[in-house]
Amino acid sequence: MVKTLSSSATQSPAASPDLPKARRWRAASWAPVIVLVLLCAIITLINPNFLTFGNMVRISQSAMIPLVLGIGATFIILMGSIDLSVEGVLTLAAVILSMLVLNGANANDYGLLAILAVLAVGACVGFINGVIHVRLKVPSFMTTLGTWFIGVGIANALLGGMATRINDPWIRGLAIERFMGFPWGVWVALACLAIALVIQNYTRLGRYIYALGGGEELAALSGISVAKVRIAAFTIAGVFYAVGGILAAAQLGLGNAQIGNGRLFTTVTAVVVGGTALSGGQGSVLQTLVGVLIVVVLSNGMVLMGVPPSVQIGVQGLMIIAAVALSIDRKLMKIVK
Amino acid sequence: MVKTIVTAGTRRSLQRRSFLKGAAAIGAAGVFPAIITRRGHAADMPTVVNSIRSLSNPYHATWNAGGAAFAKSVGAEYVTLVTEGNSEKGIADIKAILAKTGGNCAINIDPNDSPDARPIVEACKEAGAYVVTQWNKPADLHPWDYDPNYVAHISFSGVPYGKAMAEALFKAMSGKGGIVALGGIESNVPAIERKAGLEQALKDNPGIELLDFQVANWSETEALEKTNAWLTQFGDKIGGIWAANDGMGLAAIEALRADGRAGKVPVTGIDGIQLAVEAILKGEMAGTVAWDPFWQGGMGLAIGFAAKTGVFDPAKEPKEHREFYGTGVTITAENAQSYYDSNIKAEPSLDWKDIWGRVSGQIQYN
Repeated sequence: MVKTLSSSATQSPAASPDLPKARRWRAASWAPVIVLVLLCAIITLINPNFLTFGNMVRISQSAMIPLVLGIGATFIILMGSIDLSVEGVLTLAAVILSMLVLNGANANDYGLLAILAVLAVGACVGFINGVIHVRLKVPSFMTTLGTWFIGVGIANALLGGMATRINDPWIRGLAIERFMGFPWGVWVALACLAIALVIQNYTRLGRYIYALGGGEELAALSGISVAKVRIAAFTIAGVFYAVGGILAAAQLGLGNAQIGNGRLFTTVTAVVVGGTALSGGQGSVLQTLVGVLIVVVLSNGMVLMGVPPSVQIGVQGLMIIAAVALSIDRKLMKIVK
Repeated sequence: MVKTIVTAGTRRSLQRRSFLKGAAAIGAAGVFPAIITRRGHAADMPTVVNSIRSLSNPYHATWNAGGAAFAKSVGAEYVTLVTEGNSEKGIADIKAILAKTGGNCAINIDPNDSPDARPIVEACKEAGAYVVTQWNKPADLHPWDYDPNYVAHISFSGVPYGKAMAEALFKAMSGKGGIVALGGIESNVPAIERKAGLEQALKDNPGIELLDFQVANWSETEALEKTNAWLTQFGDKIGGIWAANDGMGLAAIEALRADGRAGKVPVTGIDGIQLAVEAILKGEMAGTVAWDPFWQGGMGLAIGFAAKTGVFDPAKEPKEHREFYGTGVTITAENAQSYYDSNIKAEPSLDWKDIWGRVSGQIQYN
């Protein structure tokens, strides 16, 4: 029961192709990839430097954080919920990390332990999100809005408005040291993607998340513990945001309470542009990868193409609408909210 | 593993009602310290009050430290009000402190937004308190229209300092080559002024070419991404980077570092935050300008306090003492160490009686 439900609710390229419905969806779900390829082609025509290896590395550097955040948010959006706590968890993770590793403000030097602690903090905040959302029946929008502010608030209180410089060579190495030409942070982000793919496709939890997004009542009736799935999904998302916080701190070489500013918008945009439906049940973390690349390539490309700064934000808006409009299958939608 | 965590969470029956009660209690407790006060020594000693946007950035945190230092120097009660970016809260808190002190106070305020200055000044005049505003006020609101209570307005012109930083950058590049520039939010007055200063310097130095100007909205993340794209577009043609504030400049340095070029391409910022001064000491940054928020937080109070206690009569002061540009401190490799030692390592010691010492001209409105 669950199996048929989840496969018919998926829109991912991996969805079973023997159903005629799934085949029709396939074209629409490839739309973001087509948009990405077109975008790259146009930018290359105007500025051939775009396709150099150096620029690919820089794009991957810009994409690594949105990718990790987007992966976390994808699980939540697949359930039809929303998670606004991205910036809160990221900021808290970056600030705590900056205070636990070798830094310019205190004598701590916990190295790997600090990373584990930060991941635990992310899991905790996600877990709290899930418990409040499920047990107190507070809508995910309000719950995570609250934890967003709490996260930033704690980060503020910890640092008192100052920034802490990170001196730990391992953390800084994530952004500076390279393996096969790409910074280690990019490999970390790809590892996260692989883990997320496994969770999504090969664990019960992953399939349950799709089931919940496709129709929660049906999922509950077929014996899925909705509460457990929701709490687990929020917890996992929290861990991914914490990874994002570690990468952000590594990239800027510091932790401060403003490090997360603007990340929520990029994250949700990337997930939705990738073709994951805000209504839940349709999408995948691989599509989020495409969405992240569209957003990052676009902002990189606009500088390369010499688009005036005052026009850039408008072009970004147009691209978001275009990408989403192309990836929607209108035949299946009766109601649009 | 995930499974055990989840079952542990769901099995624990969270008592909803008691949880809500607890949350309500925490919320109510949070209301009380909205105005944090310390008991003063003498009953008739005016209270000194700083009203600022938040304590979550280094700039205002230092501002607050300056205010506390001044209050300690005269033995007055010190109050910090935080608007958290909310104009209504800012104005309401001012009215509350006026009522509490009966107007016996000197207020130093960085209004959340320009229009807020008018109701605040009017409330202070009515209560008999003395007020100094900084950065934001409407152009047609003048201290001399509210004698003697509206003592002064202090601001900093971005033009000369944007220009000074551009010149420091050109000097580090030996006067020739290409630069890229990172601007703040396009509609912000400081962003516009600092950019105008850069343009003036470019006009005076024909050997320097502006390769591109991008708006990074004061954001470190955006500055990092713009710089990354520039490294692709211009590569070795980039001889220097001018940034409209330190945060963006430091992010540009991180982009250079990932490219193995930190310290080879000079970068300038503005604001004088600690990390920027440290970057100058390391040779990665070519310069910054310190507005000295410690001075702003302390001297804004000192001026109002002096007027309130009758040291001078605001109505008799010239206009250039009522609406003036303060003086920023230009920091380059030459004076970075001494600035670091006297302002960052140790708490700065300022002469709070030298109230007009940093006046550098009357504010001009176009």
